[in-house]
Amino acid sequence: MAYSDTTAAGDAAEEARFAEIAYRRSTNPVEYFTELRAQGPLAVGHNPRREVEVLNRADVEAVLRNTEVWSNAIPLMGSAEPVIPVGLDPPVHAEYRRLLDPAFSPRRMAALAPQVTAHANRLIDQFIAAGSVDFSQALAVPLPCSTFLDLLGIEQSELPRLLYWKDVMIHPAQLAGSFEAGQRLAAETAPVIYAYLYQTIADRRGKPGDDVISRLLEARFEGGRALSDNEIARCLFQLIGAGLDTVTISLECIFTYLATHPADRQMIVDDPETINNLIEELLRWESPVQPAVPRRATRDTEIAGCPIKAGTVVSPLVAAANIDPAVPGADSVDVRRGDKRHLAFGGGPHRCLGSHLARMELRVVVREWHKRIPQYGLREGYDVEWNCSRLRGVDHLQLQWDPAETVTEVSA
Amino acid sequence: MRVTLDASRCQGHGRCYEIADHIFTADDWGHSELLQAAVDGKDAELAAEAARACPEQAVIVEG
Repeated sequence: MAYSDTTAAGDAAEEARFAEIAYRRSTNPVEYFTELRAQGPLAVGHNPRREVEVLNRADVEAVLRNTEVWSNAIPLMGSAEPVIPVGLDPPVHAEYRRLLDPAFSPRRMAALAPQVTAHANRLIDQFIAAGSVDFSQALAVPLPCSTFLDLLGIEQSELPRLLYWKDVMIHPAQLAGSFEAGQRLAAETAPVIYAYLYQTIADRRGKPGDDVISRLLEARFEGGRALSDNEIARCLFQLIGAGLDTVTISLECIFTYLATHPADRQMIVDDPETINNLIEELLRWESPVQPAVPRRATRDTEIAGCPIKAGTVVSPLVAAANIDPAVPGADSVDVRRGDKRHLAFGGGPHRCLGSHLARMELRVVVREWHKRIPQYGLREGYDVEWNCSRLRGVDHLQLQWDPAETVTEVSA
Repeated sequence: MRVTLDASRCQGHGRCYEIADHIFTADDWGHSELLQAAVDGKDAELAAEAARACPEQAVIVEG
């Protein structure tokens, strides 16, 4: 398979073609991926980074699990140094995960749930009486950012700064106007973010608390070495890039589905016990995070019989893998069936560090919202506009309800 | 029925101990530990559901 490792040509026709692909992939992913899969197990020339896209479930799993052949050592989000832990390969990667995983364990995340519940209700309080809202801007964007600030022990007043930085890291092209200008903006902003993180770490060292930064300062590798400020900053940099928009877009995908599927919505209103299962099925079916982070071939290899040269960068499209019809039942959505295996949080050693955090946030928001606003739909006359990003969301999801059918007071 | 957990495959997704928290539990890293290897009836169904949900196919139910 021929593959050229050049950056995107700033060619207008090419940009228009990529924009059309991005639109289709985000607006109707099932149709788009089904069409792509019919052409073969790999897709080439469909994204401006020139990555070879891997579509089928078995191949995506193999790429995610075989870290000897598939390296994660690829620059990400404008950071000059590999971000920690996703930019590292085993065995070093595992040493960092041993320090990081306890800070994001299910138990730790459960302990944070009351604060997230309070954030969700505080945000809902602001619009419940109005009978309509831009769900994305009023809830889906601020909720994960407020949660993240709590997690790191940073004041909520830092919210606007954090929101801007995560946009630079995740959507640089949208902010800067083109792919290439976006790459420049991300590279210029990364040192500013790092400087802020170094200062925050230094301050925390003098005043530790019950937060992730304090835990990373206390953590020790086998042999007793502590993490350096540089290592902690690279972890935090990744957390900003990975922990905010991912939850935002997942909320947007889930609420878009619920607003347009009243019977499924009624199911969770009648029986909140079904919420977790519904969320798992929608993470699989909607796959808000369409690709896992790219991997680079460390040697000549093959995928599904197609030769791949050493150095080739592939994009494991978990969104396509999750709906692969080779897996029985995977090509349809059913929020009532039992747990469906999915790769929405990736797989292999790089399984999303924040998966337990994300699940907790999604469950809290779905639960609290439906306690208070059980009946709602899309705002009259509004058509859902998907954001054309591989982080697939709806930037201004407009919802509407009858304020007479809401619960304005939260019971303690 | 017999449940086996392949610790070398487990990556800490946590699906098994959420589905059946009396058959599996989480260690400090969020990885799974097996509490009960022999399961029957309803527990066998739950263990099978955990096996289906595991993205790493680290849970095996046989017998």
